Amino acid sequence: MKKDLNVMMLSWEFPPRVIGGISPHVFFLSKSLAEIGVNVHVVTCDFPGVPSHEVIDNVEVHRIDSYKNPSPDFATWVYLMNMNMQKEAAAIARKAKNKIDVFHAHDWLVATAGIGLKHVFRKPLLVTMHSTEMGRRDGVHSQTEKMIHETEAWLTYEAWKVICCSDYMVSHVRWAFGLPEDKLVMIPNGVNRQVYKDTKSKDKKTIRSKFALPDEKIVLYVGRLVYEKGIHILVNAAPKILEKVNAKFIIVGSGYMKEQLSSIVKSMNLEKKILFTGFVEDDVLLELQKCADVSVVPSLFEPFGIVALEAMAAGSPVVVSDTGGLSEIVDHDSTGIKVYPNNPESLAWGVTTILLDKKYSKHIRKKANKKIREKYDWKKIAAQTKQIYLSVLGEYSKSFWA
Amino acid sequence: MQVLIFSWEYPPRKIGQLAEYVEVLSKKLVEKGIKTYVITYHDFLTGLVENKSGVMIVRVANPVRNHTSVLTWILTLNQEIERAAANIIHQHKEKISLINVYDWHFIPAAVTLKSAFGIPILYSVESLEDQRSMKANNPYNMAIKSIEWLGFYEADKICVKTNAMKNAIKRAYNVPSKKIEVLGSISSSDIEGLRKVFSTITRGKSKR
Repeated sequence: MKKDLNVMMLSWEFPPRVIGGISPHVFFLSKSLAEIGVNVHVVTCDFPGVPSHEVIDNVEVHRIDSYKNPSPDFATWVYLMNMNMQKEAAAIARKAKNKIDVFHAHDWLVATAGIGLKHVFRKPLLVTMHSTEMGRRDGVHSQTEKMIHETEAWLTYEAWKVICCSDYMVSHVRWAFGLPEDKLVMIPNGVNRQVYKDTKSKDKKTIRSKFALPDEKIVLYVGRLVYEKGIHILVNAAPKILEKVNAKFIIVGSGYMKEQLSSIVKSMNLEKKILFTGFVEDDVLLELQKCADVSVVPSLFEPFGIVALEAMAAGSPVVVSDTGGLSEIVDHDSTGIKVYPNNPESLAWGVTTILLDKKYSKHIRKKANKKIREKYDWKKIAAQTKQIYLSVLGEYSKSFWA
Repeated sequence: MQVLIFSWEYPPRKIGQLAEYVEVLSKKLVEKGIKTYVITYHDFLTGLVENKSGVMIVRVANPVRNHTSVLTWILTLNQEIERAAANIIHQHKEKISLINVYDWHFIPAAVTLKSAFGIPILYSVESLEDQRSMKANNPYNMAIKSIEWLGFYEADKICVKTNAMKNAIKRAYNVPSKKIEVLGSISSSDIEGLRKVFSTITRGKSKR
């Protein structure tokens, strides 16, 4: 086995281009792989004001001209972008000091580029499926949705291994594309604990005083204000919680339910207790997460649930609904509290249990912190990913392509 | 000399006159001692490899069946064209001398293969999107024109059948005159002309 491992990541977003969760995922994964000696090239779309090639934390980042071709619609843009991406990536792979050993694609947005590079260089392709068209649209209906679904199926067919970030996604992806069990691997998403460290208690107090009165406990919700996130369940649970504890509900984020929620809050006479902040700056959010007495994730549908992980990393005890990826992140009565989805009574019980018992809350925070360190640490995730690369290369070395 | 020809039509699949033209042309190239592969599309002869009068024909199909336009169909089909070409390139010790691509359809595959293997491209133009679409400039037509542009930019040489076409390309895409060769139809002198164009390209390539 040769010593060097050279990986080319394909992703349609990479910081500072941030559209969804893939961007931070690829950023931390690449950086953490580089820390354990893997040579990583990231090929991604361009962004105004950043160079087309730079080295960030030992990761070679290549940004391709992604808006070169006029496109009639988004899906066609994706395929045209993939045409340019694979042409550029092929040139990079050809000129690279070390030959690329593995191509790693993230979602269908780089499907055709990944498939092309696999065959042109005859190297294994891995894919991380962060989401599916079926999941996003609750089935495939339109012609575009069918086309994207089939492209996803093709990508998982061509991939040597399909990585998913939760057991829930593993079974969903397996069912959606009819994949054999041994093709799927679960490697969790990670959370960056570093950003939650080193705050002076003085700063914490200032931030706290901006949002809540000294005798109010902080109940924090972070997420879009949309139906599937279950924010209305939390609003409905608020009076029940306030019967027992003096608390301030801080709702961070925006969405189509905002007006509706505000009017409900007004009719309940809770405008002074439930605060809608809209979007806040990253550093403010970090501080809020750190000083929250409890963080609530009341989702009705959740493929992974990164917000719960962030809260746990920030040292805030969590109450989550027992669904999707959240069910796996939180162990009930240990690393947090799981409540029945779509049930305000259950949610109120969970929140008051944590707010009324300081000792219990401390116990939960400690357990959660331990789990974060053990399971959702980028170093460990990178090591697991590297292990998958090596085992795939082991199988590859026995194939006629080697 | 070993040549890959990309064409979206080849008998029995006939859309226009290109199918028969490529068929006769490839046969004559083999007669001139040039090893010729034709990579083309056919939906129900998937994966079929055929040897017809010395011409190797490889047919591929599109794994994605639902599409929103010819453009998405072409862009995904390109991956299979590319895969078939890569298979030939990897299976042969002797290097493929050039890729001769007919019209815009398989330019995406050709340009990736060029940047991965350094194989030069000869782009043979039958018609332009400008002419087919009556100079329409909505995003759909512009996307196809941008693929044609990529072909003109990446091609080592461009082959056309008439001076009118040469002038149209020069006008629409600012292509330098000496990059475009005018060859008639498929008389024996035209085939000899094409062989000469092939040699110019491969010789130029070896100098680099």
